[in-house]
Amino acid sequence: MTASVIQPFDTEIVDAQAIYTLEELCAVCLVEAAWVVDLIEFGVIDTNGRPRPEWQFAGLSVVRVAKAKRLERDLSLNPPGIALVLDLLERIDMLQAQLGPV
Amino acid sequence: MEYKDYYKVLGLERDVAQDEIKRTYRKLARKFHPDVNKEPAAEARFKEIGEAYAVLKEVEKRAAYDHLGQGWQPGQDFQAPENWDAGFEFSGGEPNGSGGGFSDFFETLFGRLHQGGSTPRGQTAFRARGEDHHAKVLIDISDSFKGAERSISLRVPDIDETGHIRLRDRTLKVQVPKGIMDGQHVRLKGQGAPGLGGMPAGDLYLEVQFKPDKFYRADGRNLYMKLPVTPWEAALGASVQLSTPQGPIMLKIPAGSAQGRELRIKGRGIPAAEPGNLYAVLNIVLPLANTDKAKKAYEDMARGLAFDPRAELGA
Repeated sequence: MTASVIQPFDTEIVDAQAIYTLEELCAVCLVEAAWVVDLIEFGVIDTNGRPRPEWQFAGLSVVRVAKAKRLERDLSLNPPGIALVLDLLERIDMLQAQLGPV
Repeated sequence: MEYKDYYKVLGLERDVAQDEIKRTYRKLARKFHPDVNKEPAAEARFKEIGEAYAVLKEVEKRAAYDHLGQGWQPGQDFQAPENWDAGFEFSGGEPNGSGGGFSDFFETLFGRLHQGGSTPRGQTAFRARGEDHHAKVLIDISDSFKGAERSISLRVPDIDETGHIRLRDRTLKVQVPKGIMDGQHVRLKGQGAPGLGGMPAGDLYLEVQFKPDKFYRADGRNLYMKLPVTPWEAALGASVQLSTPQGPIMLKIPAGSAQGRELRIKGRGIPAAEPGNLYAVLNIVLPLANTDKAKKAYEDMARGLAFDPRAELGA
């Protein structure tokens, strides 16, 4: 086990810019295209609304697909289950925010 | 190296039935999954549970682990006895859970199983872009106003010079950009797993989370804070000093303000080309009637004002 310290890295905020094609998204997240299509059908991620050959995905989709993949792997969830969990988590976040200092 | 009591980690007795281990693991995994549970300690707990389950779910590994004996206390300094696993046959296979990141204790006892032929990306003659890594980083709301530098520690599987997969501690200093919002992600290009066969490395994605703040709540770029005011400030109007993340300002409270009124302080939210707003939410605080003078003031109000807050209840 070695430890190394690296100097500060510049970071780039992952935003809503459309930068990935379906193939790139699959390659980056190590998932099958059919599975991503399932996620799209259940509204976990959104396309740019174009026909499939022209699909593009926002940078944020990488994060959502990776999260979906972890939920599938760790909790054996299927795409409708993943969609439900993500929706409920969003609601919990919203409700918890309202319980905050204000 | 510390001994780990995998039964205690799952909250089980040593003689528990194999089925019960699976049920307990699933329940705990749902509860502590870091994508589901936002408590900072959840991730460590989830890994611990995953590690315990990776050992106890397989009858052979469990038997070998049990064979180590019960005399150990969790956290006790541990040395694996020579040939401790003789006579136990492991079926191998990759433990599930959050990939790498198991303890030294696990690695010493079962780590060589990671190095079997079935491990992904462990062999050459294989070209693949490195895997992306995902992690979380906690910052204060105030960090978003000036940018922040954070050190994060990651345990990542790495391929050593002999071609074996080993865990490596990696500390990264990360510049969290100014204007970041709660729940946003930042990408560090090329800081994920190394690529194989000349392919590029993966990226590291960090989910930025705001620590709970005593005064402010963030909603996108907007910030909300509670502003305590006296009844007469709310009724008659006043100018009050207010501290904001960008320093103190004077805020005018309009006469006739009601409880919960939101006063917008434009552009004092999270900075950006179009910065968010800061909202001061009025919270009217009543003085205690604990002196003769205070009692007298309330009595004067009772006599002088024709005020019935329950008029709508029709009582």
